[in-house]
Amino acid sequence: MSWFTILGMAAITFINRYAFFAQWLRFQPNKQMIRFLSFSSYAILTAIWTPIVFHFDPAQGFSYAGMDYLIATSLAVLMAVLKASSIIIVIVSTIVFFVLRFLIFV
Amino acid sequence: MQQSKKDPKLLSKQEAPKHEVSVVVFLRALLDVMPLSIAVIPWGILTGAIAIQIGLTPWQSQMMSLLVFAGAAQLSGMTLMAGSASPWSIFGTTFVISSRHLLYSITFRQHVSSLSLSWRVAIAFVLTDEMFAVSQTHTQRTGKFSAFYALIVGFGFYAVWNLATLVGILAGEYFDNIGALGLDFAIAATFIAMTFDKIRQWPIALTMLVSGIASILLKPYFADSYIVIAGLLGMFVGYFASSGKSPKNQNDELKGKNL
Repeated sequence: MSWFTILGMAAITFINRYAFFAQWLRFQPNKQMIRFLSFSSYAILTAIWTPIVFHFDPAQGFSYAGMDYLIATSLAVLMAVLKASSIIIVIVSTIVFFVLRFLIFV
Repeated sequence: MQQSKKDPKLLSKQEAPKHEVSVVVFLRALLDVMPLSIAVIPWGILTGAIAIQIGLTPWQSQMMSLLVFAGAAQLSGMTLMAGSASPWSIFGTTFVISSRHLLYSITFRQHVSSLSLSWRVAIAFVLTDEMFAVSQTHTQRTGKFSAFYALIVGFGFYAVWNLATLVGILAGEYFDNIGALGLDFAIAATFIAMTFDKIRQWPIALTMLVSGIASILLKPYFADSYIVIAGLLGMFVGYFASSGKSPKNQNDELKGKNL
């Protein structure tokens, strides 16, 4: 099962990379399609991280993973908006997260 | 005599491949990609450690980085695997998230379409955000695309990514209770860092708002496919938000630029 998933993912990423290198391919995407695709990473990456921090339950409504998640996420967002380099954002906010998680909100 | 000596040289020059294979280009390529390679090390380690945490074997974890070689796709695929999603929903997410490579593929098409199959396959295999960025910069600087340069940038980055994954796998094997650490926060931090710097462009801000909220709301109902559905919703919103400019507004913008 895991092997099947891994090999399938490998095939998909390779096809997306190779797609327009194929010489037989005559298809040229139009400007609209390129513009649509240009939003894909922002949309998907956001869709992945938000449910890590915020939860929704049909019966109980909204909640969040914990104060440690909430504070460290806010810090990461603030740093990113202020255009800190991504490696600094990840290191600083993760350190703050671990300090909160294991030293303060134990 | 001189004439006949010169002729073969001229011929060989004309037939020389478009990609200059030289030590100088090789070193230059490795040097140019080095800052990005160093920056990706923590993410490689994280990817290896999370792979172990969600129950992949060390071999599977390493093969993921060796074959899939796409950080965001690997992290999201593993997030779904941990929630025991079906392979098909993982494939859907992988396709949408790696569809940005189609853009790179389109851009490189003009440069690589005359190369042999093995060159095209090799360059496609190591085509990442980082390789694309470094290679495009090189093309702009030198005025022409170098396939050899692109290949070395790509494989240099590939080597570092896989070594970092190996370190993460060993760390994941070493620490027993890696699940309690809260490594999933690092995924959130990574993706925030990769997206929020463009929040000032309002179509992107709308895209993120819609896909973020939709994803939280849809997760209880579509455990398999919430990422793809929320992502596509956000992409549509961003697309329509960026197309709503009237000709008049565009003229105003142009005037502003000229001033």
